[in-house]
Amino acid sequence: MTHILLRELDIPDIGKMEVYLANGGYDGLKKALSDHQPDDVINIVRESGLRGRGGAGFPAGVKWSFVPKDVFPKYVCVNADESEPGTFKDRQLMENNPHQLIEGALICAYAIQASAVYIYIRGEYWDIADHLDRKIAEARKKGFIGKNILKSGWDCEVYTHRGAGAYICGEETALLESLEGKRGQPRLRPPFPASEGLYAKPTVINNVETLSNVPYILVNGADAYREIGEGDSPGTKIFCLSGCVNKPGNYELPFGGETTFRKLIFEMGGGIPDGKQIKAILPAGASAAILPATDEVLDTPIVYGAFRAWGTDIGSASVIVLDEMVDIAWAAKKMINFFSHESCGQCTPCREGTYWLSRLYKRMDSGQADAGDIQTMDAVAAQMEGKCICALGEFAVNPVRATIKHFPEDYERAVGNGRLSRR
Amino acid sequence: MADTVKITIDDIEHEVPAGMNLIDAAKLCGVDIPVFCYHPKLGHDGNCRMCLVELGLPRKNRETGEMELAWFPKLETACTQKTCEGMAIRTTTERVTDARRAVLEFLLSSHPLDCPICDKGGECPLQNLTMAHGPGTSRMYWEDRMHLGKHVALGELIFLDQERCIHCARCIRFQEKIALDPVLGFDMRGRKQQIVTSSTPGFNSIFSGNTTDICPVGALTTADFRFNARPWEMVQVATICSHCPVGCNMSFDTRTDRLAGGRTTIRRVMPRQNEAVNEIWICDKGRFARHYMEHEERLTTPLVRKGGMLVEATWEEAIREVAAQLKAAGPNIGAVAGGRLSNEDLYALQKLIRGQGSGDLSAYLPNATGGEIAARFGVGVGTNLKYLGAGDAIVVVASDLHEEAPIWWLRAAAAARRGAELIVISGRETRLDVEASQSIRCAYGAEVATLNAMLGSLPKTAVKAGESLDGMAEAIVHAKEFTADAALKAAAKTIAGAGNAVIFVGSEGLTGEASRELAQASANLLAATGHVGRANNGLIIVWPSANGQGAADMGFDPGFGPGYQPVDKPGRSYGDIFAALADDVIKVLVIAGADPVYDDLTAEESIRKTKGFIVVQEMFLTETAKLADVVLPVQSAAECEGTYTSGERRVQRFYPAVEPLGESLPAWLITQRIGEVLGQGAPSVSAAVLLAEIGRNVPQYAGITCQTLAKVEEQFPDVGGEDLYYGGTSFQNVRGLGVQWPTLAEQVDAPLSVAPAQAGEVLEPADGEMIVVPVTLVYDTEALFFKTQLLHQRVPLPHIGLNPADAGRLDMVDGDLVSLTIDDHRVAAAAYLDERVPSGVVTIPRRLQTQGAPLFATTAPVVKLEKVEA
Repeated sequence: MTHILLRELDIPDIGKMEVYLANGGYDGLKKALSDHQPDDVINIVRESGLRGRGGAGFPAGVKWSFVPKDVFPKYVCVNADESEPGTFKDRQLMENNPHQLIEGALICAYAIQASAVYIYIRGEYWDIADHLDRKIAEARKKGFIGKNILKSGWDCEVYTHRGAGAYICGEETALLESLEGKRGQPRLRPPFPASEGLYAKPTVINNVETLSNVPYILVNGADAYREIGEGDSPGTKIFCLSGCVNKPGNYELPFGGETTFRKLIFEMGGGIPDGKQIKAILPAGASAAILPATDEVLDTPIVYGAFRAWGTDIGSASVIVLDEMVDIAWAAKKMINFFSHESCGQCTPCREGTYWLSRLYKRMDSGQADAGDIQTMDAVAAQMEGKCICALGEFAVNPVRATIKHFPEDYERAVGNGRLSRR
Repeated sequence: MADTVKITIDDIEHEVPAGMNLIDAAKLCGVDIPVFCYHPKLGHDGNCRMCLVELGLPRKNRETGEMELAWFPKLETACTQKTCEGMAIRTTTERVTDARRAVLEFLLSSHPLDCPICDKGGECPLQNLTMAHGPGTSRMYWEDRMHLGKHVALGELIFLDQERCIHCARCIRFQEKIALDPVLGFDMRGRKQQIVTSSTPGFNSIFSGNTTDICPVGALTTADFRFNARPWEMVQVATICSHCPVGCNMSFDTRTDRLAGGRTTIRRVMPRQNEAVNEIWICDKGRFARHYMEHEERLTTPLVRKGGMLVEATWEEAIREVAAQLKAAGPNIGAVAGGRLSNEDLYALQKLIRGQGSGDLSAYLPNATGGEIAARFGVGVGTNLKYLGAGDAIVVVASDLHEEAPIWWLRAAAAARRGAELIVISGRETRLDVEASQSIRCAYGAEVATLNAMLGSLPKTAVKAGESLDGMAEAIVHAKEFTADAALKAAAKTIAGAGNAVIFVGSEGLTGEASRELAQASANLLAATGHVGRANNGLIIVWPSANGQGAADMGFDPGFGPGYQPVDKPGRSYGDIFAALADDVIKVLVIAGADPVYDDLTAEESIRKTKGFIVVQEMFLTETAKLADVVLPVQSAAECEGTYTSGERRVQRFYPAVEPLGESLPAWLITQRIGEVLGQGAPSVSAAVLLAEIGRNVPQYAGITCQTLAKVEEQFPDVGGEDLYYGGTSFQNVRGLGVQWPTLAEQVDAPLSVAPAQAGEVLEPADGEMIVVPVTLVYDTEALFFKTQLLHQRVPLPHIGLNPADAGRLDMVDGDLVSLTIDDHRVAAAAYLDERVPSGVVTIPRRLQTQGAPLFATTAPVVKLEKVEA
């Protein structure tokens, strides 16, 4: 297939301005500015059914339409804080196809009449931030950024801003706080960023991959976009495949249809190394509940909501494959340690719960846990649910409850023995 | 509150104010929703998750088009909700109680549970809410809990127990939103997150102690109370702060102390809620300075000079001696009384002196005057700075409120943040300027001219409200002689157009005469624009001491008798009293609660020179007392009872908290015993009886009795009382909110008049000369205050402030030892370069051990500043 996002696989050097322009680059922006009113752009994106690729899957056009028309200035924030374990798609997009992101962000900025785009990029991606700065300079030189863009009378600036390495700053309101120079902690909602975001002004925050889809939609139209993918999950999705798999990497596949975990893992990913059996799949890094690798799971066409019955979703589609040698309790311990380390500490259930859970896993690891401790783990996670300020605390419940539910034997084995490990 | 809405709490419908925080609204309905991070003074933060409730809001059914109650799928935090019509909550369902139990179990998971040695134990919201809603046991393994620092000094005043902290951020939010000193913050994240201070010195805020009150656990403790007593052992004794004219309501929490030989001692000072005065805040001076009261150097017996030495004497001997001297001196006597004395002390003293035929009575410090103007045009009864906001105006003239009256600073800044126009008129930039909507710099000495110019700039329509007042026409004609620039015109217009207007009249850089004119100019402006005679309007004099208003009311003003009644012959002013003393015209001078020798070299010279007899009523052997002929030991404000009158003319009562030290007596009783010997009648039985006498003889105080002063009413928000979410038990005000006496302007058909305010001369320094301006600091080396060692680190070193440009011209750098000579006295201190000091001016902090520093603006303050060569 032809890629919409990972276009460097089809067109090497798409990252270069002249190559990008030669292949229809910035046509989406030109079309938006010359043919459409801002509201029309929002409608086109809404009609395309494009859903947020950061994890929540909220329809992008709907999000844009929430922005009030009469409050200025407005901002677009690009969430390039990519920090979910096992997620590495935005990095590839920004490294290899940066102009498509810049163009998509500019189209969004035009649609909501924003005066600036901030690309909030994780601190560890400092080289990519430099790379993007050069690409932004190129775009400015061409008149795509700055005053009176393409003689439309509309001004917009694009900036990169590097975070300092906190997972929580990928949460959109914590991102805004961090961008404002404050401590990265999520805000209470309401107000939502669309009405009071950056500097208390209307703000749209979208993931890198989401915005990279936008130029295609503008050029080819909403209908063309809907033809890719399936139902309420139009378009393609980049799957970040990692873990116990022969060929880890980013794979762009259309939603639904033939796109299943089996295809992704066994066809694209080349199967499990050393002839081992697949045991489980983490569909969205540490945040979404684990899926046992049953045939039913492996053969379900992947769309948003496809795994709702299993209490999980594809989120940002950072698919981590676990084989039969992986002790699931060990994997859960690593995940809970991650959440404990990354909890911002603002709200009680997350701050205390993740720490408590990490201690229980440590206890299990050292062989001191008894059967009652498994129940305690589940109960502690359960009483975090629905009480946290942001999704971090809510997601931290998943690695505990889902692994206990689906793989109780791995926990029971650890009771009295300890030494959680990949065997 | 005008609009009300109907909400349903646990299936019972209530009518509550619209748009009110749901926690507060529920509390009004008698439903307690437990909270940790929410505080009615701080607003919501939503971090503790303790207030989760089931929430339903009316929503239009898309199919039927009818309104129906839609319940949120998840529990919602009540603290983030505002009341609206049709809102419904459930607070007692199993989901809610489970959630509360869960949050408490989380909060307690790493909590040290050291309640038996915790200062908060017994008045701890975490303890109380755990008893009410928490699990009986924790499922967390004891050895799994996080261990952190137990005695982390955030400064020398406040200590943090990191293990007890529940990360509610109340302290951080208080510093950011209320104290406006954002010196606290979180460091690290997750379970390792900790409160840290970002300032040098640590926790650099004069309101730091308040964080220990609002801390819902025992994480923040004060240096002088931690591990000192259990809350339930203490007795709360209502008192009034004796350090500045705000009149903060406080509580002395007392307990008998084995280490003090079984005496009752003060264990801590807590704010006492009075929403009209200090709400629930006090400054650190009020909280921590009390230690001087139990200082070992306190005088416990009378001292009489014999053979050139002050030796211990009996009361009988001392009083007989003083009475004999007074009798011999006849009317050639005088008194200087500090504003730390109670109304009763002051009334008794003036009665003694006037009874002997003298009217030489001066308040100390004497640079702030104008009590009689406050009596006519002061703020109206019911004034509460809390109600000033958008559409109102606050003017602060010639005062650094942050240093002189911290809680007024806090409340003025809060009003500005609510939208009130804050106009700061002063010779230098102060901390309040940051919050001000209009900052007006005028030359020192030009304050009256500035206010006159503002009045003069107003069109006829703007001064209509005051035109019928006697003297207003002349005052306006006079004011028109002054020219106003655009800024002054704008400020005048703001005041004229304000719904409510209050002027804080300070005295920085002013003499006593000039400050009276400034009060007059302020009164003229307010009266002309109709901002007198009603609540939230009028002027407030920023007295240099707690009872400056009371001293003026009691007749410590050469021009007036008690209650501003006319006198046949005006008495001497402060300066004249000491001049007359030096010339032996005044033969006996009583100095009560004042230490002029330490502060004022002129006074010292007079006392050293005179052959007259000096009587000092004091707690310590101050520099003045050392030169006295008789020293009479008085009780501290914690040992006796009495009343203070705040700058807002609120008479408030303080109660005896501890047993008197040694043989010390209340100042009024000492005075009356002297009077008894002189045939003025037997002493009052108590201060309360004396207050009744004041009520009979001082018209403004008619009807003010212990009973009326002790009246309380329900206050909102309710932060004390039965429940303990919001603070400690001492917050509750059960001993009286005080009585604000009405101004003349509030009385119908009162003979009210204004007069032109005479602008003084603005000193024009010649080349190389500077104007000296004494300024007030909140922490200084004043004799009593400096006995409190706890605050020594906060007292700055002696310094002379000057503009960097002047310093450059004089070839001085920051820290250079510089000197100047004022009235033959040489002053030397380190130069402190400060851009806020205007060019051509040097500021010298009062009472900062700067030898020879002027206490008042002198009449010829133009001096040469020189560098002292090392």
